Amino acid sequence: MGRSYNTIAFDAAKCDGCGDCMTACATAKVGVGDTARSRIQVVGSADDGFELALCRQCGDPKCVTVCPAGALTKDGTSGVIDWSAAKCVDCLLCTVGCAYAGIALDAGTGHVAKCDTCAGAPACVPACPHDALTYITTSRIYNEVGDWEDLFAPGLAGCQGCNTELLMRHTLRRVGPDTVLATPPGCVPGMGSVGFNGTTGTKVPVFHPLLTNTAAMLAGIKRQYKRVGREVTALAIAGDGGASDVGFQSLSGAAERNEQILFMVVDNEGYMNTGMQRSSCTPYGAWTSTTPIGEGSRGIPSQGKTQDAKNLPLIMVNHRCEYVATASTAYMEDLYDKLDKAIQASKVGFAYLHVYSPCTTGWRFPTDQNMEVARKAVETNFVMLWEYTPGEGLRFTRPVDDPLPVTEYLKAMGRFRHLSPDQISHIQGKVVENLAFVKQMVHRASV
Amino acid sequence: MEHTKYLVVGSSHAALEAVTAIRMHDTEGSLTLLTRDTHLPYSPTVLPYVVSGRSAPDGIFLRDEKFFADNHVALKRGKALKALHTERNAAELADGSEIAYDKILLATGAAPAIPPIPGLDQVAYHVLRTLDDATKLNAAIKQSKQAVVMGAGLVGMHAAENLVKVGAKVTIVEMAKQLTDGYFDATAAGLIEKAFTDNGATILTGSRVVKLAPSAIGATLTLENGTTLEADLLLVATGVKPNMDYLAGSPVEHERGILVSDTMQTSVANVWSAGDCAQAKGFFSNAKVMNAILPDATEQGRIAGMAMAGDPGLKKYPGGVPLNTYHFFGRHAISVGSSKAPAGAEVVTRFDEANGRYLKVIFMEGRLLGIYGVNEFFDGGVMCQLILRRVDLSSVKERFVANPLAVGRELMSKLWR
Amino acid sequence: MTTATLETPSQAKPAKQKVILCEGNEAAALGVALARPDMVAVYPITPQSSLVEHVAKLIADGRMDADIVDAEGEHSVLSVLQGAALAGGRTYTATCGPGLAFMFEPYFRTSGMRLPIVMSIVTRDGITPQSVWGGHQDAMTVREVGWVQLYCETVQEVLDTTVMAFKIAEHHDVMLPVNVCLDGNYLSYGTSRVELPGQAEVDAFMGVKDVNWHVALDPLRPMAVDPLTGGSGGKGPSTFVRYRKGQCRGMQNSLRVIEEIHEEWAQRFGRRFAPLVEEYRLDGADYAIMTLGSMTGAAKDAIDEARDAGKRIGLIKLKTFSPFPVEALLKSLKNVQALGVVDRSVGFRWNCGPMYQETMGALYRLGRHIPSMSFIGGLAGADITVGHFHRVIEATEKLMTGPAPTEPVWLNEKD
Ligand SMILES: Cc1cc2nc3c(=O)[nH]c(=O)nc-3n(C[C@H](O)[C@H](O)[C@H](O)COP(=O)(O)OP(=O)(O)OC[C@H]3O[C@@H](n4cnc5c(N)ncnc54)[C@H](O)[C@@H]3O)c2cc1C
Ligand code: SF4
Repeated sequence: MGRSYNTIAFDAAKCDGCGDCMTACATAKVGVGDTARSRIQVVGSADDGFELALCRQCGDPKCVTVCPAGALTKDGTSGVIDWSAAKCVDCLLCTVGCAYAGIALDAGTGHVAKCDTCAGAPACVPACPHDALTYITTSRIYNEVGDWEDLFAPGLAGCQGCNTELLMRHTLRRVGPDTVLATPPGCVPGMGSVGFNGTTGTKVPVFHPLLTNTAAMLAGIKRQYKRVGREVTALAIAGDGGASDVGFQSLSGAAERNEQILFMVVDNEGYMNTGMQRSSCTPYGAWTSTTPIGEGSRGIPSQGKTQDAKNLPLIMVNHRCEYVATASTAYMEDLYDKLDKAIQASKVGFAYLHVYSPCTTGWRFPTDQNMEVARKAVETNFVMLWEYTPGEGLRFTRPVDDPLPVTEYLKAMGRFRHLSPDQISHIQGKVVENLAFVKQMVHRASV
Repeated sequence: MEHTKYLVVGSSHAALEAVTAIRMHDTEGSLTLLTRDTHLPYSPTVLPYVVSGRSAPDGIFLRDEKFFADNHVALKRGKALKALHTERNAAELADGSEIAYDKILLATGAAPAIPPIPGLDQVAYHVLRTLDDATKLNAAIKQSKQAVVMGAGLVGMHAAENLVKVGAKVTIVEMAKQLTDGYFDATAAGLIEKAFTDNGATILTGSRVVKLAPSAIGATLTLENGTTLEADLLLVATGVKPNMDYLAGSPVEHERGILVSDTMQTSVANVWSAGDCAQAKGFFSNAKVMNAILPDATEQGRIAGMAMAGDPGLKKYPGGVPLNTYHFFGRHAISVGSSKAPAGAEVVTRFDEANGRYLKVIFMEGRLLGIYGVNEFFDGGVMCQLILRRVDLSSVKERFVANPLAVGRELMSKLWR
Repeated sequence: MTTATLETPSQAKPAKQKVILCEGNEAAALGVALARPDMVAVYPITPQSSLVEHVAKLIADGRMDADIVDAEGEHSVLSVLQGAALAGGRTYTATCGPGLAFMFEPYFRTSGMRLPIVMSIVTRDGITPQSVWGGHQDAMTVREVGWVQLYCETVQEVLDTTVMAFKIAEHHDVMLPVNVCLDGNYLSYGTSRVELPGQAEVDAFMGVKDVNWHVALDPLRPMAVDPLTGGSGGKGPSTFVRYRKGQCRGMQNSLRVIEEIHEEWAQRFGRRFAPLVEEYRLDGADYAIMTLGSMTGAAKDAIDEARDAGKRIGLIKLKTFSPFPVEALLKSLKNVQALGVVDRSVGFRWNCGPMYQETMGALYRLGRHIPSMSFIGGLAGADITVGHFHRVIEATEKLMTGPAPTEPVWLNEKD
């Protein structure tokens, strides 16, 4: 299997063209802050906004193929396209080969120059005062896990565009074969995790617990294996309804007893598998099939759910679990970190991972927008990514200091289409309040 | 008889790209790479630097033995294709042996074209296409006091610069009215010419050698106007011709080069051709043209390889766009696209004579047709995409001409980054 | 293997057993300890509480090596045990009344998954009216869910049956959960002399534990447990039907296995309990009464007195209530001319006691009509006295000559 590499990502929306990245690059690479000599080039665009020219360290690099001198080579380990001063003959053919202006003439030396990611610590990234540049190191996931066995059957029957399959495959790969997997009724077994009529959807032992007793059954399994001295991971991949509503008692009980379980909740904010009904995790104002939109009676229109969502992960924090975290598939690296920690924590006690999982079908957005919706949830602080351990307290793993207005999130999907201005301001107010609440917990952790 | 699924003839840019493309899709199918050269693969383009001594002859190889072993490629060096027997899918080699193939790629490139001038066959002269040519020339220039270069194309100009730099008295004889014709206009050529004459070279454009004869130091050249030139080193760089003699008697259609479709297929179904020996669609006209440049060789090689392996990702060849970069006496010239302005074209030039900076941009109906500059750096690859994608530049034309580097990057970032 | 231990034990005479004095809940706890379960999950409820307290103490004192899970409710109690059983553990719990009602969701599923879990029901009447006292209403309410249900008469029988229950449940021909029912108040708190079998002897009796050979959640034998079945096409419906049939077959097999294991118990430990149906002074009886559980003691006294008075009366007691031992019961009823059935719970639908209702079903197979009637007594902890049983005997005797009433007789209505 091939390798995956780290990369520098640019978010044009955050860039204000200050050029600090270019100064940092030129300083790091040629010792002077001359932005013209930077290997990352931010260019002002005619309209507003800024554009970027930077080596993409292509997988199939044109510059390498056109170099007649063998001066350019792709490093199989780092993925960086290296330039050899000793071999280069200054022919500039590479600049003609590259369609992205990723390699260009440095007038100061007369040679071509290109980004080398500063050996994995790019100077430009921390120099950006607006976080417009990020060094994405998600590749480690692929490199580490890519060759591991996918323990789910191919061709799970999920809705188009659903991210839960991604979550299932990644999680199980990570957890490995010495696992017993509980998938309570919901989208996960709906996709076929437990199979149909005697088939199975996974290569690990898997079962349907009741919607109500996932944590309890896993506790029994885990304890029995512990008793006979076997190391087996007890894993749940559960929906939000089963966890926050009818299954909450067993979840809470198992957490209180600090059972050694890894409990992952895939929060699609409702009973999506049974036809998109409301759960206690459904947010205020959302359309569901049991909080429909209508004229209502006595002059009060029916405008979606009238209560705010239950914040299950915070409730789990109050169980002082070994580990509690929120995650999003739009931030896989963060998710992976947390998965690793949760796996470790589950060897000692209860680990709870709450993954926000946009539902294309139930939330009503185009099937290619899942990651975008997930990302917007975080960027607006509608969803906050944090982790908690009893020792370290609670901390944000991806703080969003300058959140987008919540409307950016709401307008991305149909379930909020009907919202009145009052409802929107209620939701925005709730976002602010939730943030303040969690921040207070962060503060408590730091004193 | 030896049999291989893929037989690739040639070991230069087109051939190597084809190998990569085949292996991308078919990791196991037997693949043989045949070249008449005895060395590991290298690029003819790097040879001027071997001549000048800047590149070590053993440091220019594009692949090593390990690459071929890792990719299960049987590399046969020093084996020339002599004849192609398409009726029985067999390649006959110069040593008389034959290799049967399922699919064959002809990537045999080009060789120097030797003009039919009386007496040329009587005198000693150099050409530059192979590594052996280059090492010979490298040794020769060190001895040369008085050299003549026939042909002011990029090959000839490179060699002339090398000779100037070792202190020889150099005369360049060019038939056309300007040097580097076909890539640069008279103004740009003038800048190049000036750099050479400033460094002591003599350039005779519009001159034709009509006769050669051996002389005490080497050769005497007689020009059309009767002038004679003495040369202790003569380099013939008057152009290239494709290597395709082996097609004699085969049904593979060829004109100036081997005629290929836009997936590099020849008139015979399981025979492909790419690179300097192929005659493929041009981008600006649908006529089949010779576009004997390195980037096109790689592009064509890749397409041929994908087509041969049946890669479903295959995209058709968009047509050759002329591209060139040229480095001379510390200056550079870059040319992308058409260098000639057809009727109806809009030509914008910028010339800073004092600093030797020149830019010429050719638009057709708001779209870029060609751009070239001397000592004016822009991203050739970006320009090429603007041409290939036929991007409408009407609204940014002025900004573009003022700063093709920044505006080109901006457009790139917006349109295809 | 369970079957392998069915050979006749080597010692002809049972080993001498320790005699102790204890209440029924403690006897149950001691029986559990002797069976060496891996996991016990508990949640307290009256009148079961002292049972789990005894279990907890036995574990705390190191007299029992089991993992104890103090779950947050009965629903989780049984769920934890399901998990442990699927991972290969021998498991036990106890509950009653509202706890059993709360447990119903996993309770239903336990038999479907064929998990040999043993659970005592320290029987309690159903609420509402609010009550914390004994009665069979709880166990009767779940009689139709595929568990084997055994009712005990004495504290000694509680102990012995608790041990036997594990072996019955885990028998490869059965693989079903078993309820050991002991009357709340009367057996749970009733103290009596009990012989305590030795651990080594019980170990020999139990044989090798093998509880998840048929269904497991084990990474060494990965399988999907309980994939979706049913629907109206493909393999779905037949898969479900075969499954259900298998459960019913297991229930029927248990009738034989219960007998075999009681026989083995008698041989090894010298105590013989009627496994399915007990006949008491039925020889030469023209009519009979039927009882269940601890009320049988008083009933037997009344029978003795009636016999002394010359009445041709006998007694039939059920031990195995689920599966309903139709054949054994019909055999006992062979010469009976009239029958009175005493229940300690209510069958709302038929306006009679549940055991009476079930017996009526069995009587249909008898091939001749015998008059019968239903008595309901002992609800919410009420005592069914010898006096009450004399009323039962008299009313049953009258059936031989007069008409059979369609209404049940409510024994404690006027107490
Ligand atoms: C001195 C010089 C400078 C150049 N500078 C530039 C430049 O600046 N920019 C640019 O774009 N291009 C330049 N070129 C042109 C460029 O090198 C070619 O376009 C390019 O190498 C073409 O690649 P190719 O694979 O088609 O063929 P070639 O590179 O010509 O390779 C042909 C291969 O086929 C083999 N071969 C030939 N005949 C046979 C046979 N009968 N049997 C077996 N093998 C055979 C040869 O040994 C060789 O391996 C330059 C060329 C030269 C000579
Ligand atoms: S400028 Fe240097 S690196 Fe670029 S193609 Fe030429 S030799 Fe290669």
